[in-house]
Amino acid sequence: MDNEIVDIVVVGAGATGLAFAWRLASRQPDLRIKIIERGDFVDQRNSPSLHSDWELALLRRFHANPNIRKSAADYPVDDANTPIKPAFFNAVGGSTIRWGAHFPRFRPSDFCAKSQDGVALDWPIGYDDLNDYMDINDQMMGVSGLAGDPANPPRAARPHSPLDLCDGSHKLARAANDLGWHWWPADAAILSSDRADDRQACNNCGPCAMGCPRHARASADIAYLKDVLALGVELETRAVVRRIEVKNTNVQALEIIDKDGQKRRIICSELVLAGNAISTNILLQSAEGWHNPRLGHGLMLHPTAIVTGVFAEDLRSYAGPFATSLVSQEFYETDRDRGFLRGFQLQALRGQGPLSTALGGYGKSIPWGTEHAAVFKRNFGRSMSLTVTCEDLPEGINSIKIDPDKRDQFDMPVARMSYRIGQNTLKMRSFGIKKASEWLKQAGAERINITELSEQAGFHLMGTASMGHADDGCVTGDDGRVHGLQNTTIIDASVFVTASPVNPTSTLQALALRAADLMCMRLEQN
Amino acid sequence: MSDDLNSSILDCLIPGDESGWPAAGQHGLTFRFLQLLEILSNEGVQQLATVTENLPKDFCTLSKDSQTTSLSTVEKEQPAAFQAVLKAAYSAYYTDQTVRQILETKTGYEARPPQPQGYELQSFDETLLEPVRAKGPIWREAP
Repeated sequence: MDNEIVDIVVVGAGATGLAFAWRLASRQPDLRIKIIERGDFVDQRNSPSLHSDWELALLRRFHANPNIRKSAADYPVDDANTPIKPAFFNAVGGSTIRWGAHFPRFRPSDFCAKSQDGVALDWPIGYDDLNDYMDINDQMMGVSGLAGDPANPPRAARPHSPLDLCDGSHKLARAANDLGWHWWPADAAILSSDRADDRQACNNCGPCAMGCPRHARASADIAYLKDVLALGVELETRAVVRRIEVKNTNVQALEIIDKDGQKRRIICSELVLAGNAISTNILLQSAEGWHNPRLGHGLMLHPTAIVTGVFAEDLRSYAGPFATSLVSQEFYETDRDRGFLRGFQLQALRGQGPLSTALGGYGKSIPWGTEHAAVFKRNFGRSMSLTVTCEDLPEGINSIKIDPDKRDQFDMPVARMSYRIGQNTLKMRSFGIKKASEWLKQAGAERINITELSEQAGFHLMGTASMGHADDGCVTGDDGRVHGLQNTTIIDASVFVTASPVNPTSTLQALALRAADLMCMRLEQN
Repeated sequence: MSDDLNSSILDCLIPGDESGWPAAGQHGLTFRFLQLLEILSNEGVQQLATVTENLPKDFCTLSKDSQTTSLSTVEKEQPAAFQAVLKAAYSAYYTDQTVRQILETKTGYEARPPQPQGYELQSFDETLLEPVRAKGPIWREAP
């Protein structure tokens, strides 16, 4: 087997892998850094949204669930024991290839759930440790939004002004004002104005989740890849890391299968795991010579209900980025009178295209038979939805474990995702559904449809290798270094200590940039 | 599985109406429907077979009401297979260019892909936020 020697191997060319590599290579240009990515490049300039049958792409090629998508780069996940199915994308750019680009930040209280509310653990770092990195990342990704949100600490102005609102969003905004609730235009990693680097402003086409031909909607490849490669970082695509070799608490080498099916060995000084909680757990749990029984436990998701309001008038609600109009963080912080701890975010979703409407993308499908045409017409373009995105709490029984009896096409163990929604979250979700319904009714919705649990929504795979002290059962230190593995760092969301009720990517990429700086300092000291 | 049977199933699922929506089978979508069954799922063709095996042999000549009753029974007894068939039927229908032209006439939703033209939205009116700003901060400081 051929041997290759590099300084740093990064596994995964997604949101964190590319951000990390850019930061580290910027500060340490002499390092030989290599990124291994099992997926391929996605040509977003030729997105399905340019073609008349664009909605079909969401049903297979760009489906969120790898078990349904089944592309050559995908690996199966045993999801029989979870009501929320895994959702991630294997490609250069990772899951940001097919995301909605909603880009909120965690709040200060998200880092101290234990000391504020007596649940979970406090993070070993705080909001202030990440704030500057979030600003840097906002510039790289190209974030639109409005400073001054009273639901968040004061922040720097966003690089771009807020995205436009649609008729449905305006109805929700006025209704929130009537109710006396917080709302704010959503932070979005979507450009509201052109940039010099050949990225054009969003033209409100709608289906962000199949790549953006204007490069208005950021993805990690669009935002970081060009700079990463210019700094001399190597990227090997369609290559699968099969095994990590551990000796004396150090990772010595990786075994990969490259795009030609050849096994190769890469010897490295530092290993950085930047995939997701599933791929990271597969690699670490199958490593020979190292074992941590805490690894894989405490999986957190964002259990999400979707409440849809159907209005009498045509809102043209298919127009505009589907996930980034406005949010309410009125119910974000703990209020013990509500009967649960922590909170949720209400996020407006726009309507969908005709096929997705018929299939009931956010809820119930349009009935078949004689009523079909009339019901379709009453719904299409006339709906706005609200997600009730609940903060999950880490519970030991929710886990990602490898199944010793199942192997995938690369003879790697298959991950088993086991999850059930906790009692606190169930109470929170019920309360949230009532509030979302109240908001939509206030906005004038004639009918309300409730989807209590969005099944294909395991986008945010958090925890299982949380940061903190080993004595507290944590798997990684405050820089993502794995306790007991001296040269291995995790920078994906496995390291999250708590989940917050908001999308994690801004916080996640800030953690990756910080981890790069900390590694840089350590390398300089050595 | 005959084309007549598949066409009858499509007509029952999406019968159209008097306002101008065409019935899916009569509109000639059977071939596209069969293509999409294969494209959308590795098991799609088998799932159609499951549906048809559970329909009466004389399905094509039954009254519309009896066809609906038969398909409703299959929907209850073979939900996964039925949903796969329904998904392919809706997919064939709502990506068909003629149907999209009718949709444009009836709703104003243009019969074109979302890109490269996109859509116009209203500019964001920041004055709407005045009541939110007036309430002041609602986030918690870390201890």
